Amino acid sequence: MINELFFAIPMISVLLGALTLMLLSHKKNISLKNFNYIAIFFLLISFVSEYLILGHNTQDYLFASIFQHTFILDDFATIFDLMFTLGAILTLLVNNDYFKSRTYFSGEYFSLILFSVFGMMLLSHAHELLTVFIALEIASLSIYTLVGFHKNKKVSSEAMMKYMVLGSMTGAFFMLGTALIYGAVGSTTLENISLYVNATPLEDMTLLVVGGSFLMITIMFKIGAVPFHSWIIDVYHGAPYPITMFMASTFKIAIFAIALRLYIVNFAQINHFWTEMLQAITILTLLGGSWLAISQTLVKRMLAGSSIVHSGYLLIGISSIGLGSEVAAPAIMFYLIAYFLSAVGSFGILSFIASQSKKQMSYEDFKGFANRRPYMALMMSIFMLSLAGFPSTIGFLGKFYIFTSAIESGQLILAGLGIMTAFISVYYYFKLIAMMYFYPTDHEQKKLPIDISTIIIAMMALIVIWGGIGTSLIPFIPGADSFIETAKTAINSLK
Amino acid sequence: MENILTDIIFLPLLIAVILGTIRASLPLLRVGAIFSSLGTLALTLLLTYDFNPQEGMQFLVNATWIKNAGMTYNLGVDYLSLIILLLITTIMPLLYLYMLKERRKGYWYNMMLLQTGVTGAVLSLDLILFYLFWETMLLPIFIMIGKYGSGMKQYNSMKIVLMTILGSMSMLFSILYIGYIYFETTGVWSFALNDLSTLIFEAKTSIWLTAGFLLAFAIKIPLVGFHTWMAPAYGSAPTPAVVIMSAIMAKLGVYGIWRFGFTLFGSTLHFYEPIIIVLALIGLIYYAIVAITETNLRRMFAYSSGSHLSLIALGIFLSNIYAWGGSLYFIATHAIASAGMFMVIGLTYHRFQTININELGGIASKMPIFTFFFAFFALSIAGLPGTGGFVGELLIIIGAFKASFWVGVFTATTMLSAMVYIFWMLQRTLFGSSNNEVIAKDLSIKEILMLAPLVILLLLTGIIPSLFIPMFEPGLLGALK
Repeated sequence: MINELFFAIPMISVLLGALTLMLLSHKKNISLKNFNYIAIFFLLISFVSEYLILGHNTQDYLFASIFQHTFILDDFATIFDLMFTLGAILTLLVNNDYFKSRTYFSGEYFSLILFSVFGMMLLSHAHELLTVFIALEIASLSIYTLVGFHKNKKVSSEAMMKYMVLGSMTGAFFMLGTALIYGAVGSTTLENISLYVNATPLEDMTLLVVGGSFLMITIMFKIGAVPFHSWIIDVYHGAPYPITMFMASTFKIAIFAIALRLYIVNFAQINHFWTEMLQAITILTLLGGSWLAISQTLVKRMLAGSSIVHSGYLLIGISSIGLGSEVAAPAIMFYLIAYFLSAVGSFGILSFIASQSKKQMSYEDFKGFANRRPYMALMMSIFMLSLAGFPSTIGFLGKFYIFTSAIESGQLILAGLGIMTAFISVYYYFKLIAMMYFYPTDHEQKKLPIDISTIIIAMMALIVIWGGIGTSLIPFIPGADSFIETAKTAINSLK
Repeated sequence: MENILTDIIFLPLLIAVILGTIRASLPLLRVGAIFSSLGTLALTLLLTYDFNPQEGMQFLVNATWIKNAGMTYNLGVDYLSLIILLLITTIMPLLYLYMLKERRKGYWYNMMLLQTGVTGAVLSLDLILFYLFWETMLLPIFIMIGKYGSGMKQYNSMKIVLMTILGSMSMLFSILYIGYIYFETTGVWSFALNDLSTLIFEAKTSIWLTAGFLLAFAIKIPLVGFHTWMAPAYGSAPTPAVVIMSAIMAKLGVYGIWRFGFTLFGSTLHFYEPIIIVLALIGLIYYAIVAITETNLRRMFAYSSGSHLSLIALGIFLSNIYAWGGSLYFIATHAIASAGMFMVIGLTYHRFQTININELGGIASKMPIFTFFFAFFALSIAGLPGTGGFVGELLIIIGAFKASFWVGVFTATTMLSAMVYIFWMLQRTLFGSSNNEVIAKDLSIKEILMLAPLVILLLLTGIIPSLFIPMFEPGLLGALK
């Protein structure tokens, strides 16, 4: 029991942190900065303990004597946990200045972030459908509140309402799916579902397949796949910058934790059933996302649109798994890592700039940015290149693996379409680079302030580059190879 | 000596990164850039000294890069890459001399990055590595046109980037598919050219794969029909960028066909032979006609460059020793001549603030030395006997006649049409009465120093070709068998 406690530390520490912050938040004499540090402290404990746990799992299930097989322990979940906590830590650190520049932040904000991280961690460990639902709702409800945190701003409130109404409705789909699956299997644990799926022929599983499709709808909604995408741009736009950053980089990945587990392990025998459906959704997502991203004038909305396209690339990987591609699953993991790094960086820069002005930040506002902040502009360019999949960045390797997996599974058209949308994405990402570099500025070149946000963003930029070109030739410094090794470990630990 | 190729590729980038991190002052930056170009020149000369013309690929570097994906860090140099490498390293110091007074720091950084990009593309023997450099060299061009260019610079730089990346993306698809075929046959991933050249493709697949590569190269050259980016980009780009684009990057399109096209899909390329030959023939005549009508010097020589690159592409696809030798020779001499020409055009702009033919005129009486260089480079582009261009063009034309009478006839018209636009242009720019009030100084010592090496090289290649041809002849004969 005490032994198992060690494996629970990551989650317990985040939960404790969330509760502590909630209790402290009514105190007026604690500054936001200190709240921030408290939150980071708990997240760091969690991060470090996850790092220690990684690869040393001795238990199959967490507190099996109490929860039976509700919470699974494997490297897959731990690697996702690492990303969640890292994403939250980076969000909090990068936005250290942003909190000060806006009046509406308070202690609850940090508590909610920790609650949503806790929800996501539950999600990655969940091995039972009702727990999945609860975890999803813990994470989502926190995010709904965070999106509308600026309650006097119309756009923000509208975004929250939109997200909450649509999100709750798709949550109902999830419940319905769970009910149907329970009707077919007689249990909601993933273990029993696997047994049932492996033992029954496809023709006799109508109820389960329908239930599974309902689960898929929820997942598609959460990752913003077309035609379930209508909320994404408005919500990303309405949310405060730190929350947009948190949603785009961290929350989106959390959904893939459960999606991959279900698709690769539990529905492995029948996942080819959804292949055509997934392919259709993928095509729509790639084209629709590109269309939305091209037509935006605000950079934040463009990034929101492009995040739909990135979901499309990930969906290419998922349908490749169904067609028997071996590299597809690690490819998705790698792409998630790559997207995580680039999204944290690019949204981080946006919110960093936003902390110094109250502007809406359209493309036009970036004119002459390279003259004002040359290093910041350089890093922004690096993140844009990585998102566009330009070689020498980690984004290129991510696309490389996704497209090879598509070719391997014989989906040449999807691979071609993916490359085509990558080409289209060059337009809207390079447009930002062009804005930053090609126009003169009226402002004087300021001195370059070095603070924690800039240091972190610079580190992210270095990792993005090194993850793309880093070679195993240089000993002791992990390069691109170690990222893909991590991705493979994660997939191999699934059971 | 083992890592000499790595050093040549990454020296400029390394210096740029160091200077960028320490936020170097302008004089230091200047010294660093010039040092990087001279350093690579010295290393390349050392390499040339050790190069053995009788052998194929030399100075091979075989290292794993990203093991899981089968990407390797394979480098090597043979006669063709050596020629282009020598061109890059010779032109770079001269360009730095040209832009010595440039005060914008970004300019210098971009030039160093550009050198790493083009050098890497020439030396890499791994498809993904090649793709990496092929894309990387586009970035500095994008920034240089958009930031330091003239005219509709933002629009034109976006245009060149989008068109070129469209080509690269189709190439990427082919590369990935080839890698997959290799994986399917052997069970391991590899993108090394050595491994992939052992593959035999199904005829139908092969045709599609070749098309992916050819699109990228056709846009880069550019063959007629894929050329809409060319004149605007050349017109807007600052002089150093134009020089690199016309002298080096356009040649890389031909180089790509040669290195990757012939190695991977030797027989399939024959399928495309008639199409490319027809496109090249149309191109060399069409571009020449457009060049006659252009009044902007830069755009005129952009089309002239397109016309001559079509000639080179034509030579590559007429598989006989004359055409191949001529193409190789012309790659080098045209690069030198067009580098000189675009630099002289840049100098013209500095002096007269215009490069429109109608606003120039009567230069000869005022600036004799300038006139000499201007006329010399223009004439060597036209293929004046005694300059290197003549040797190259002549060899290609002989090769064309060997292949077919009519191809020969059409090919020979390049020389004629080039004479038409060059002489007419010279008459209107250098002679006649002056159409502007500018009182310009003749070339300074620095400018003479910058152009003289190119003149000497052109004369050497023109008068004693026997000095250079043995360098690549054994390799060519080997390749033809």
